[in-house]
Amino acid sequence: MEKSEIISSGLLEMYVLGAASPEEIIQVEKSRKDSPEINTEIITIEMAMESYAMAYAVVPPASVKEKIFASLQTQPFLVSHVQPNLSTLKSQQNKHSSAKVVSFSPFGKIAAAAAILLLLVSNVFFYNKYNNVDLKYQEGQEQLASMNTHLTEMSKDMNIVQSKYSKPVALDGLKASPDAAAKIFWMKNTGEVYVDPANMPMAPAGKQYQLWAFVDGKPVDAGMITSKDGRNYKIQKMKTFGKAEAFAITLETTGGHPQPKGEIYVMGKI
Amino acid sequence: MQAILKYSEEELVTLLKQQDQNAFSYLYDNYAAALTGIIMRMVEDTQLAEDILQEAFLKIWNNFRQYDNAKGRLFTWMINITRNLTIDTLRSKGYKKQKKISQDENSVSEYGDKSFKSDKFDTIGLRKQLLQLKPDQKLIIDLAYYNGYTQEEISKEMGIPLGTVKTRMRTGILELRKLLQN
Repeated sequence: MEKSEIISSGLLEMYVLGAASPEEIIQVEKSRKDSPEINTEIITIEMAMESYAMAYAVVPPASVKEKIFASLQTQPFLVSHVQPNLSTLKSQQNKHSSAKVVSFSPFGKIAAAAAILLLLVSNVFFYNKYNNVDLKYQEGQEQLASMNTHLTEMSKDMNIVQSKYSKPVALDGLKASPDAAAKIFWMKNTGEVYVDPANMPMAPAGKQYQLWAFVDGKPVDAGMITSKDGRNYKIQKMKTFGKAEAFAITLETTGGHPQPKGEIYVMGKI
Repeated sequence: MQAILKYSEEELVTLLKQQDQNAFSYLYDNYAAALTGIIMRMVEDTQLAEDILQEAFLKIWNNFRQYDNAKGRLFTWMINITRNLTIDTLRSKGYKKQKKISQDENSVSEYGDKSFKSDKFDTIGLRKQLLQLKPDQKLIIDLAYYNGYTQEEISKEMGIPLGTVKTRMRTGILELRKLLQN
């Protein structure tokens, strides 16, 4: 079909309003890629329908927004949310397939029987194949979700490190563990203290690292350093300090103490 | 009170792909009312409508990485998710394809905040303009848009040949475009 024919046919309107058949959708998506005019026409139709929707806008109660944002925190990613799209697509395809009745000659019947048998066998084959692909797809989605969580954490860490208010303090290893090191990011505007304990050796069972801030020459408890998965330490928020001269980390029994008792692992002056 | 943030569509898309909650909040503030309007034209039960709205936004959030601006505008994409979800929900609850829309246009506005104002859109003015749409033209748009009718079903419902459905749709939407420009 010519460009102008496609535009005047009403096909693009059907596409935007969701009433195009799967074959038509493919046709439109291809032609919008090839022709800027068709693309512009589709966008114009979309904008008209958007205004149409806006004309009948109804403000929902504020509680809906609260509920939505509350569930964002508890369920960042759900693989199952992707599934309905697939099933809608499938049901659309079913809608458009129609069967015809044709009569067969005796020879035709044998051929038809053979064809049906072949079809059955290939159905099993493709069904298995479909299941495999489906499984792979699920795995891919899960992987993507976990990568994303990872990425979000990383970008949170980067925000702390890159903040213009963050003052880094290097804590160097002392006698107990000369190779150990840690960093403090102290937010000058809010007094928040973050520790990056990635280069601390893992604390032995029953022990935990405790951060101390030295205020007027005295150590003040700045919180316990935790490791969520028991494998590596990540940047974490500690207690807030308006002023401090130095920071240190000691190894204490799990849960910590009001005053340092264990050995000092790392220390750094501001 | 929070500062009012404004994003371009491009920035909004980039931020939403990074799961930025501020951007999502902005998206909600700007489009939730329009999406609610769409749901309310298809669903009578306000509780059900709220549930669908909630689910639609979660779907938008969770599936945002699938959004591709080469395949449509952001708002249109959100509208499609909402429409499909509403149609699916109604079907799964055993509703037949219903023709709720044509008769109670005005009852819709009774729900929710009556003082709704949008600086971008003069909704009252728009509605007035839309009253000029011929009933047949409005019907064909609404059957597809709000009821999820296929072309065959529209042909049957309106008693027009299948071959005419597309061209009628074209005429109807051209008229809509003209009215919206005024």
